[in-house]
Amino acid sequence: MSLSASERERYRRHLALPEIGAAGQEKLKAARVLIVGAGGLGSPAALYLAAAGCGTLGLIDGDRVDITNLQRQVLFDSPSIGQPKAAAGSERLRALNPELRIVAHAIELRAANVREIFAQYDLVLDGTDRLSARYLINDACVLMRRPLVSAAIHRFEGHLMTYVPDQGPCYRCLFPHAAEGLVANCAEAGVLGVLPGVLGTLQATEAIKLITGIGAPLTGRLLTYDALEMRFSEFRVTRRRDCAVCGDAPTITEPRDMSTSTEGTQGIRRLSAAALHEQLERGEQPLLVDVREDAEFAAGHLPGALHIPLGQLPQRLAEIDPQAAPVFICRSGGRSMAACQMALRANIRSPANLEGGMLAWAADIDPRVRVV
Amino acid sequence: MTCTVRIASPLRSYTEGAATLSVSGRTLAQVLDSLEARCPGIRFRMIDEQDRIRPHMRLFVNSSEAQQLTAAVADGDTVHVICALSGG
Repeated sequence: MSLSASERERYRRHLALPEIGAAGQEKLKAARVLIVGAGGLGSPAALYLAAAGCGTLGLIDGDRVDITNLQRQVLFDSPSIGQPKAAAGSERLRALNPELRIVAHAIELRAANVREIFAQYDLVLDGTDRLSARYLINDACVLMRRPLVSAAIHRFEGHLMTYVPDQGPCYRCLFPHAAEGLVANCAEAGVLGVLPGVLGTLQATEAIKLITGIGAPLTGRLLTYDALEMRFSEFRVTRRRDCAVCGDAPTITEPRDMSTSTEGTQGIRRLSAAALHEQLERGEQPLLVDVREDAEFAAGHLPGALHIPLGQLPQRLAEIDPQAAPVFICRSGGRSMAACQMALRANIRSPANLEGGMLAWAADIDPRVRVV
Repeated sequence: MTCTVRIASPLRSYTEGAATLSVSGRTLAQVLDSLEARCPGIRFRMIDEQDRIRPHMRLFVNSSEAQQLTAAVADGDTVHVICALSGG
């Protein structure tokens, strides 16, 4: 895939690097890279890969731009607020580099669509903000033999690891299982805005190295970054022979949605926004427990909901009548599932999880409610 | 035997925000017991009821992974507590 005159001019600084040169730049032009999550990590990764001349760049995100995103998600600016992230991000990338093919996927990645989407790309970057998506992406990459550059952040700390088929451990080898709620997310704990800038840029670096075949990829090594102490550390990670997806006898042979797994969820009712709406319309008054953080709750919540942030729930379970069959609510259904599991362990009868959380409520029932 | 324990960011609510603590112990189990005495509740976040390292946690002594609580810890070692992060 040869370079045009304008491309030779645009990428002159790359062409000056013997390690990249025209051959490397042509590999970049031919590359098809998917960025899952147009958030704090996906923003700098997408910008740098577009600037670098990555020929096909896919951006998948089902959310819309919110003002709280702009503190770190540099792919967007204030006029983007309210727009679908995939569309707004793609527009920005096209403006940065019109030579590329930018593909916007304004959907949520699911087991049902992951194979079809990943089949269009050669390399995947994980910048999602949910553990369920991290496992789905990892499993699909292992099963479809796609390299994966995975990063994650929390407050002032970040992680980075690269998976290459047959060359090292996968994300499940690193963390075989993790439940949403056991691991705090950025909405609950906060995040330094520049932190994903560092990690997302490192993801783009890994992607460029993998595409051009230069350097040593971060396979079998977990890189950790502590911004407060300005400390990078590296840990050797080996492939687990008992890994559920890349091990010697894998039990995961098809991508699956973690939320549909019954692991630890038996006894928990699944309630759609429509079903809850019907209950309320019938005059039933289920105990609603909103486990989001203060600012999220203040922005908009269901009338009469009891507010107990997930982090306070273990100490405040006594506020919930064990016979009340409470409905737990959060932004998208992850934290509320963790709350249901805590409630079950505390012998609270028949907890329900509002599937899709307040985002589903706003999408399906009441678009006036503000969800941040 | 004194070692340094470097705490994962999500567990620093147990350490009043401290990134590192100096504790004593010749094995990982003893180190975690010393840590628990200083920061009640932190051990259960890392280790389950069957004394297994939780699957979203990894423990390293210096740069080597410790898969068992019997792993030896020497004077001056650093135990790294690493927790899966979900943010993006």
